[in-house]
Amino acid sequence: MTNILIVAAREFRQIASMRSFWLTLLIMPLSVALGGFAPKLISSDEPSRVMVIDRSGGGEARAIRQRFELDEQRGALADLSRYVQRHGLERANPAALWSQHDRWYSDADVARFVAQGGVDAAKAEIARVKPEDTPEFEASEPDYEFVPVPARLASVPDAALDDALKPVLKPEDKAVQPVDYVLLIPADFGHSPLVRLWANRRPSQQFVSAVQDVLTRDLRTRFLTDQGVAPAAAENASAIAPALAISTPPPGGGAREAMLVRSILPLAASYLLMISLMLSGSWMLQGTVEERSNKLLETVLACVSPQELMYGKLLGTAGVGLFMIAVWIGCALVAGYATHGAIADMIRPALDPLTSPGTILTLIYFFVVGYVAIAVILLAIGAMSDSMRDAQGYLMPVLLAILLPITLLMQAVLAGNSNGVLLEVLTWVPIWTPFAVLARLGMGIPTWEVIGTAILLAAFTAAELVLLGRLFRASLLAQGQRPNLREVVARMRATA
Amino acid sequence: MSVLTLERVSKRFDQVVAVDDLSFSVEQGTVFGFLGGNGAGKTTSLRMMLDIIRPSSGRIEVLGRAPGRENAAEIGFLPEERGLYRQMTALDTIAYFGRLKGMTTADAKREGAALLERFGLSANMKQTVDKLSKGMAQKVQLATALVNRPRLLILDEPFSGLDPVNQGLLEEEIRRMSRTGATVVFSTHVMQHAERLCDKLLLLARGRKKFEGTLEEARAELPARLTVVAKQDPVKIAGVESAADCGEAEPGWRRWDVRLAQGIAPGDVLERCVAERFPLRRFEQVHASLHDVFVHIVGSPETVQ
Repeated sequence: MTNILIVAAREFRQIASMRSFWLTLLIMPLSVALGGFAPKLISSDEPSRVMVIDRSGGGEARAIRQRFELDEQRGALADLSRYVQRHGLERANPAALWSQHDRWYSDADVARFVAQGGVDAAKAEIARVKPEDTPEFEASEPDYEFVPVPARLASVPDAALDDALKPVLKPEDKAVQPVDYVLLIPADFGHSPLVRLWANRRPSQQFVSAVQDVLTRDLRTRFLTDQGVAPAAAENASAIAPALAISTPPPGGGAREAMLVRSILPLAASYLLMISLMLSGSWMLQGTVEERSNKLLETVLACVSPQELMYGKLLGTAGVGLFMIAVWIGCALVAGYATHGAIADMIRPALDPLTSPGTILTLIYFFVVGYVAIAVILLAIGAMSDSMRDAQGYLMPVLLAILLPITLLMQAVLAGNSNGVLLEVLTWVPIWTPFAVLARLGMGIPTWEVIGTAILLAAFTAAELVLLGRLFRASLLAQGQRPNLREVVARMRATA
Repeated sequence: MSVLTLERVSKRFDQVVAVDDLSFSVEQGTVFGFLGGNGAGKTTSLRMMLDIIRPSSGRIEVLGRAPGRENAAEIGFLPEERGLYRQMTALDTIAYFGRLKGMTTADAKREGAALLERFGLSANMKQTVDKLSKGMAQKVQLATALVNRPRLLILDEPFSGLDPVNQGLLEEEIRRMSRTGATVVFSTHVMQHAERLCDKLLLLARGRKKFEGTLEEARAELPARLTVVAKQDPVKIAGVESAADCGEAEPGWRRWDVRLAQGIAPGDVLERCVAERFPLRRFEQVHASLHDVFVHIVGSPETVQ
């Protein structure tokens, strides 16, 4: 056992002394952190400037503006709710809308929120219970700003607007702010549904949908009125929308979004298992190939048995993999509990499964055993190869066979098909079992299936250790050409 | 006391017999030479002693035990094909192998530092192996074998690839080990090293033992040879098997390369020369080299340097 630990420690130190190891270790949390800032970096801080030329009487422009203000307030209410949840401030007013989290706020909800004083009134209530070290709530800037129509455009005929709007959308003077969207509601809107939109870039789907929604509602009201329905009744009829209540049975325990959030950790474990295996496995492979090509093995084998060497390498490399995962989880915990913001909001519920000992055990078991099951294959490849070029010949088909189904598996889980035939099949094929079980854990996998696959995986790994252990031992000092399949099988059968 | 014993040991790889019914033993404190041409079975035999491979039949005893890693603490091994971890420092490399041989990290580092100092590498202890010259790396390799102060040092073709300075260093280390009572077993196909160092020899050919004994006993395997300066052909002297004329030594006297019959001592022939008043100017015994002995016994000079 001592020799296994000494070999493992050397493997760990050798990998940890590589620059590529530290780069890889840091790239993951850095990319996640940068990913959190990416939307801010990509999107402009400035609100989009909107101009509505309403030649139908002004009612449509007013309705559109009100709709955008309502959406801004809905966004502010949702932000406020996340802030209250993050800092546990519900006691300020448990009945308030902002104390009810993870829900969709209807137009009526938003109207009530505004009527109760909006963000300012809520902040005043919260201030009574907010600890001093809790940061102030910062309402996000509005996404849209409505600008008045200049007098010179008011008299321009509809057909001449294409040219007249060019300096508005793309002003030559850099000091003049461009208008992002210009919407023309023609004078005959209602009789004709035609509305024109100019944009100085590809219009956002959110903007178009909101405008379309408001104008559709108005067109329907006009139609119903024309059909003899009283104007108030027609308006109410146009505003009718279903109140969709979403529920799913346990263990998902809520909306699909919530299930997906809870799936983040198991999915991430599956993904990290793949990443860390690829990285540390290739480092381990390099180490074994180095020992062969540097003629080191005979010296080593005079002191340790092939089994000790193999287990030491597996342990050392698994240690590297687990260390990487531990660092990444540590970064996630820091990001989740020591910081505030979008990343923290996503990470905290994603770490919920860690409160269940069963889930932790399942995660650790499938991660570690899965790691060993695949690492031992890479180790045997290393023992058969005189150079990395040699190793590539074996490695590519093996990696493709392991990884291709995993990408399909991930897609299936992300699409919510946690019980599809493909997933069931992959779950019961030991080489893919760890990835499939980890990926399905958040979406719900029957306990009997977890136990059954765990036993099958253990048996498979034990058989692998025996057979590939023999291949490893027989290949270590073998020389000459790469063994063919027959020789590989013969080495697996050799007991001494 | 026997440190190493092989009894009727054979090793087959499929249809190839690498070692065939080999038996010998090595006494404590001996420098034992394992001689043979390429493919004679030397490396296979050494690997079996270290349990790197198992014999197909026969029995091996190393330090009173069966071969195994439990012996590693008392054995030093330098293989023919040597390498080092290129990214490890010289001292860490030696300490690593010391640890694998059961030493504590502190002891392994202390002993490693002492060895590097003795080999003139104290300034290079913290350098990674890939930054050392080939000669320096060879010294580090030797230090990995010596770090645990082994009772039994097994060296497989230890002089191959060494520069002359390191060859001298290794010879000195072998002598030093022997003085401290350690046993050294080394294989070689370079006879000069064996001739200078070995107390006892074993000649192998095609996996079979051809000879085992001291250098003198090995030489006795060959008929004695003389260089004689005489007026007449000495072949008529009883005990002389052949005499080749090598030309005039001085006016009236010729030089002869004389080969004696098997079992005849040079002193007996000298006595007969005196008794028969055979005129001699010079009578000198020529010592056979180990190379000559090897060629005589194994009979395949193309595999011998």
